[in-house]
Amino acid sequence: MKLHREEIQKLFLGGLLLLGVIYSYFDMLLFPLQKRQAAARKSIEALEPEMRNAEAQIKRTEALQKAAPQKTAVIAQINTMIPEGSPVAWFPPKVADFFKRQGIEKVTSKYHSEAPEKEISGYRRLAWGLDLQKVEFVQFGNALCALENEEPLLEVTALQIDTSRDGFDSQRATLTVQNIVKQ
Amino acid sequence: MALHINLFHEIDKARQLKRRDPLKLSMYGLSAIAACCALFYFIELGRNHVLHRELTSAQEKFRAIEPKAKAAKKIEDDLNVEIKKSEAVTQRIEQRFYWAPLLEQLSQVVPREIQITRLVGDVTGDKSRKCALMLDGISTGADPRRTAEELRTAIAEKFAPKYHSVTSTFKSLDDGSELVMLDGKQLPTATFAINILLTTGDETTPVPPRKK
Repeated sequence: MKLHREEIQKLFLGGLLLLGVIYSYFDMLLFPLQKRQAAARKSIEALEPEMRNAEAQIKRTEALQKAAPQKTAVIAQINTMIPEGSPVAWFPPKVADFFKRQGIEKVTSKYHSEAPEKEISGYRRLAWGLDLQKVEFVQFGNALCALENEEPLLEVTALQIDTSRDGFDSQRATLTVQNIVKQ
Repeated sequence: MALHINLFHEIDKARQLKRRDPLKLSMYGLSAIAACCALFYFIELGRNHVLHRELTSAQEKFRAIEPKAKAAKKIEDDLNVEIKKSEAVTQRIEQRFYWAPLLEQLSQVVPREIQITRLVGDVTGDKSRKCALMLDGISTGADPRRTAEELRTAIAEKFAPKYHSVTSTFKSLDDGSELVMLDGKQLPTATFAINILLTTGDETTPVPPRKK
């Protein structure tokens, strides 16, 4: 079969047109579509771990919220133990009343210093000097024991017991205590 | 035998040529390929649509859950701060130095031949609490110095099971000039000062030096 010149021209033109159509099909239709698909898949894959993390975070928080009242019971209890107002107003009478209940009169409290609690934010530590002018050793020991048990926010950091000048029957005790109070 | 002459052979040839026309055949082939390509494109378009619907749904779900997760994170942080605070307070309360048991133990080891005239105590440190005690007193007996020495060793022995690194040393031990009456006898006296060091809480052991 012999093709005419006109037919060869048509074939050549048809071939060129076919190439153009193929190029357009892939470059303008199929490849952009596949690119969009790949981008969508990538976005879905990227969202999945974030969704899992978010769901895990919500579950973790719910579990923590359930356990929190038990774990923060101490701080809640302590907050109820700290009276409102300035400690300078309530601490000396509180201590005097306490020792009075233990049978020790004449207790004077003197405010020394204040320092912030580094580990417990929102709280500060106050240092006080307590002077118990006349005590008997065993009675004082019992009072000190009760103080340490009943006042968990209070710590005796120094003490001094001197024999009274009046005689060996009674002593004079000086305590340095630190008390945790709210800011 | 009859003679058969095909007078239409020219027409048949032309018809045959027309039937096998490569241009026509290639057009058929190309049309089939084009149909396949179009079909494939529509399938891909469908997949793309499904994927986009999935993506939109996932994005909507994430948009709904993200603020909740952020709020949950904030709540978690706040709760953790409260829990840490609570633990720190508990630790602080539990790590306090308790003087009452120490005074009780001390009163148990002081014999009737000894009068403590002064007791000074001081606690330092945060986790490992170091307590320094200073006792001043008067001892008596047949050998008042020995009585004071017995007190010093008794204190160390009594405190050792409960506290760490207990040391009990004399700061001073002098013969007294006064005599005291005990059990109807005049006895000599000695004045003493004992320094006691002890530790409670977590004991920090020093790291041994590396051997070369």
